Amino acid sequence: MIERLHVQGVRHHSPACARLVAERIEELRPAAVLIEGPADFNDRLGELALEHELPVAIYSYASTDLAVRRTWAPMCDYSPEWVALAEGRRAGAEVRFIDLPAWHQAFDGVENRYSDAERRYTEATDRLCRAFAVDNVDALWDHLVEVADPEGLADRLDRYFDLVRGEAETADVDTAREAFMAQWIHATLAATDGPVLVVCGGFHAPALRRLVALAATENEDAAPPPLPEPPEGTETGGYLVPYSFKRLDAFAGYQSGMPSPEYYQRLWEAGPEEAAATLVQRITTRLRLRGLHVSTSDLIGARSLTEGLARLRGHERPGRTDLLDGLASALISDDLEQPLPWTRRGLLTAGTHPVVVEMTAALTGERVGRLHPDTPRPPLVDDAEAEMARLRLDGDGPLRLDLAKPKDLERSRVLHCMRLLRLPGVKRDEGPTAGADVQAHEHWTLDSRADRLPVLIESGALGATLGDAAQTVLEQRADAETALDALAAMLFDAALCGRAHLTDRLGAAVESAVDDSGNLGEVGPALATVLALWRHDHLFGTAGSDLYAAVVTACANRLLWLAEGLHAGPGPADHGRLRAMRALRDAVRHAPGLTPPAASVAAAAQRIAIDGQAPPDLRGAALGLAWALGAPANAAEAAAGAADPDRLGDWLAGLFAVAREEVLAEEQGVVSAVDELVADLSEDEFLIALPALRQAFAMFPPRERGLIAERLVAVRGGGDARSLTRKLAVDPVVMAAAMALEARVEAALAREDLVFGGES
Amino acid sequence: MTATALPAEPKLQRPPAERRYASELEKLAAEDESPRPPGWALSLQAARTFIVGDESRGISRKFVGDPSLIDRALVTLATNRGLMLVGEPGTAKSLLSELIAAAVSGDSTLTIQGGASTTEDQIAYSWNYSLLVSEGPTERALVPAPLLRGMSEGRVVRFEEITRCPLEVQDSLLSPLSDRVLAIPELDGDSMVFAREGFNIIATANTRDRGVNEMSAALKRRFNFETVFPIADFKTELDLVETEAAAALSRSGVPAPPSRDVLEVLVRVFRDLRTGDANSGRPQAVMSTAEAVSVAHAVGIKAWYLRGGTAVAGDIVDCMAGAAAKDNAEDLARLRRYLEQKAPKRKGPHWESLYQARNLLPG
Ligand SMILES: Nc1ncnc2c1ncn2[C@@H]1O[C@H](COP(=O)(O)OP(=O)(O)OP(=O)(O)O)[C@@H](O)[C@H]1O
Ligand SMILES: [Mg+2]
Repeated sequence: MIERLHVQGVRHHSPACARLVAERIEELRPAAVLIEGPADFNDRLGELALEHELPVAIYSYASTDLAVRRTWAPMCDYSPEWVALAEGRRAGAEVRFIDLPAWHQAFDGVENRYSDAERRYTEATDRLCRAFAVDNVDALWDHLVEVADPEGLADRLDRYFDLVRGEAETADVDTAREAFMAQWIHATLAATDGPVLVVCGGFHAPALRRLVALAATENEDAAPPPLPEPPEGTETGGYLVPYSFKRLDAFAGYQSGMPSPEYYQRLWEAGPEEAAATLVQRITTRLRLRGLHVSTSDLIGARSLTEGLARLRGHERPGRTDLLDGLASALISDDLEQPLPWTRRGLLTAGTHPVVVEMTAALTGERVGRLHPDTPRPPLVDDAEAEMARLRLDGDGPLRLDLAKPKDLERSRVLHCMRLLRLPGVKRDEGPTAGADVQAHEHWTLDSRADRLPVLIESGALGATLGDAAQTVLEQRADAETALDALAAMLFDAALCGRAHLTDRLGAAVESAVDDSGNLGEVGPALATVLALWRHDHLFGTAGSDLYAAVVTACANRLLWLAEGLHAGPGPADHGRLRAMRALRDAVRHAPGLTPPAASVAAAAQRIAIDGQAPPDLRGAALGLAWALGAPANAAEAAAGAADPDRLGDWLAGLFAVAREEVLAEEQGVVSAVDELVADLSEDEFLIALPALRQAFAMFPPRERGLIAERLVAVRGGGDARSLTRKLAVDPVVMAAAMALEARVEAALAREDLVFGGES
Repeated sequence: MTATALPAEPKLQRPPAERRYASELEKLAAEDESPRPPGWALSLQAARTFIVGDESRGISRKFVGDPSLIDRALVTLATNRGLMLVGEPGTAKSLLSELIAAAVSGDSTLTIQGGASTTEDQIAYSWNYSLLVSEGPTERALVPAPLLRGMSEGRVVRFEEITRCPLEVQDSLLSPLSDRVLAIPELDGDSMVFAREGFNIIATANTRDRGVNEMSAALKRRFNFETVFPIADFKTELDLVETEAAAALSRSGVPAPPSRDVLEVLVRVFRDLRTGDANSGRPQAVMSTAEAVSVAHAVGIKAWYLRGGTAVAGDIVDCMAGAAAKDNAEDLARLRRYLEQKAPKRKGPHWESLYQARNLLPG
């Protein structure tokens, strides 16, 4: 019965192989066509028989509480598997997928089921490339298969795959799949008496022939293999999704298959000459649109180069690299920063020549698949479409929501869920954020033309409704994350999505993480976030108030504790630290019942402000905190105490970060005190102090800086305030350095008595 | 043309490619069945085989790189366009142009060396002044330079480092390239030399020099550009350094080239420095394969003649300080930082030896 077996090894996405498969079905009239594809999809092959516009992919997922693993089996018009399905069906054969399901561990780490298996075993292909003097496997493939004489192709393919397979040490993952496929084939041979055609990746073909022959001689049990069960706690499933040529071409490394889908689509439809002609046209159009010059004589030159290259390489008809090489030679009169991408494999790298970018983009193409409307879709898609229609979110353009209105709040939540799922065409421009004041309005921009369907189908694994799916995203993130500030950010997202269950859980996680955190820069953002939530809770209505209140209290206490214990030498101002002090100020101001009383916070702050072991920026911030909370604070005097040139700027940065308003409200005071201090600095000292001083004053928005300048000018007895804040053509730090250099030169000249024209 | 002089000829340090590989060229020509473009010594197929090699036919691989580059270069020349090879220093542009000229014309010696003081005399033709005085401007008084010879004999002319020449000198190639004619106005009746089939120009230009973008647009249009890249694959580069260094050392009378382990360290150091990183930055000096070969050569010489033994990885430091980081204090500092920070992280006795040798760096 083994003589009824015909194994056609193919390369996935190869037009030549697709044509060969069609021919073989035509000539064999097989009783069964067995195809490398997910066997758990067999009872849904009807979905694939619908009239789709290709490319589409079988998308499979396996989700556990921790993560979702996703695998695609993309198919286009010229996929041998697709042709085998369609032609097999037409010929009345029994058509089956015979490979393991995508969730099986054999597919661990595999995103693209139809990548080139032999990519993992390169020794034989490297040698073939050398022997045929081609750059890489893709060029080798075109040379031996796509543009070669179709006569004798089947034999050539067999020899090629035997050679590749012959030497490779196969990995276990291949062994498991091959055993499964062989068992299917063996069973099918036993169940039918007609020819059986197997269409599989060429790398597996020699092994399958061997295994099936062995099973036949040993008279093994001829039952089809049972479909394996997914592991406990793993939910698996799959759907057809629309796919695109861009995605097909974007797989990299071991996941990649044939490049340039649009080129091969044309090759499939119209042959190499037509494909070349159409693509030259498209490339020219693209280049001209980009304003890159292409003359007719360039194109004539390219054509004769392409013909010459094809002749040199022994191609009767021009192949893909003949076309690309000819165009590159004719159109580029520059040195390249990056090698031509078709000489190496992989994605485009930064610095690729713009002409090359357009050429490769044209060969990739923009084709997007479309599913027949009867194709089953995961419940999420229907839920999302229904919700969007009900809440009138399926429109375009800007959308303004008032969160105080229940209907708008509901719309906002759905939009936030969509944002978390990364659906295209959903963008929030403005709205409540952590660390800012209460804000009841939200602005969104929607674009209904964005292709949301693939993302929606692929998110189907995450839940049956938008809310559930968004919640799963957050839960999985939360499980992987322990940093306090990141947890707090997720908590904010959960609140925006209106996921009360999750806000409880995340809130508790934040609360328990607070006490473990020894880092002001982490507790600060958490406090700011949760304070914002607490303040917005009447709008969000997640009824988390009690929990948020507890977290605000925990954070505030922790911050105060950490700040009092922080000892460090001078160093550049730490903005995380300063933000934390500001968050503490806000908490005491806006949630006084939840923090220690303002007076005791201020007292603690005053202790820090005079603690000689605390870093200068923290001391400045502590003084600012005391001041902002209404304690008597003499900033001008304190500034004099921090007047060391290598501390002054950092100290001020701390002060300004927390007490900006207070500083501005003073008519005279700390700013004029600083002015005097600076005036007393020697030039060397000034040079040391300058960078940090500049950073400190950068804390004021430009308008306020203008105000400060005006006051200074007034104190100094007049002048143009604007000249003080004008943007200088030269960075003042550079200027100061130049001045210092000049001073040193002058000193040296004076020392050597070289001053011209002046009495020393 | 005295053939009898041949046996007495002294051994050349580096004979031109057509002499080094005379037997391969002969074999390829004899077996060549594909059509030859007019004026070519070989078909394109045979020329390609000459350069990329074919083990089964006993033809050595002479240029390591993408075969498609050779294809494009040869087809460019066959379609009568000039070929411009550009790239970083030491990427074998000159070698490649020599090999192509040897394959296409059987002669790689019609070479113009570009420089700031290159004049049209050195490119096209000059005069024998005593004849010029006695006979006037006659053909006998004419001294042809490579371009004139290439045109009248139908051979490939190599123009090395073309971008180093003044722009107006570069532009003297315009009409030979586009009209395939060279005017010699001094000769009676405004004589013109028309190029014979087989004439073409291969120019090379170094991207570290004044760039090709300063070249006149008119001249650029007459060339097809090919960028030559450093060897991408580590093992391939190592293999090349190993063979080339062994050959160079044997010419210098050193029978024991550095071991592969030592060369592996050497090539890794070069590749690390070539790409540079945020920490040490990219050196000014050229960290090319060619430079790696010459350091390997120096390392071998030093070990053999000074110590009477084979090289250890520590020798690399010494030779690099002298060669790769020549007269550049910053490069020296970079090399030191590399040795101090990267070398101790790599495992193995050779890296250890390299690390120990960091003190040999001057300064
Ligand atoms: N890809 C390569 N294939 C073969 N040899 C190479 C390669 N890369 C470097 N080499 C080695 O380096 C030498 C290349 O030197 P060559 O002078 O040809 O380089 P170049 O690109 O012309 O440099 P420059 O810009 O400094 O003139 C060769 O002789 C060979 O030993
Ligand atoms: Mg050179």
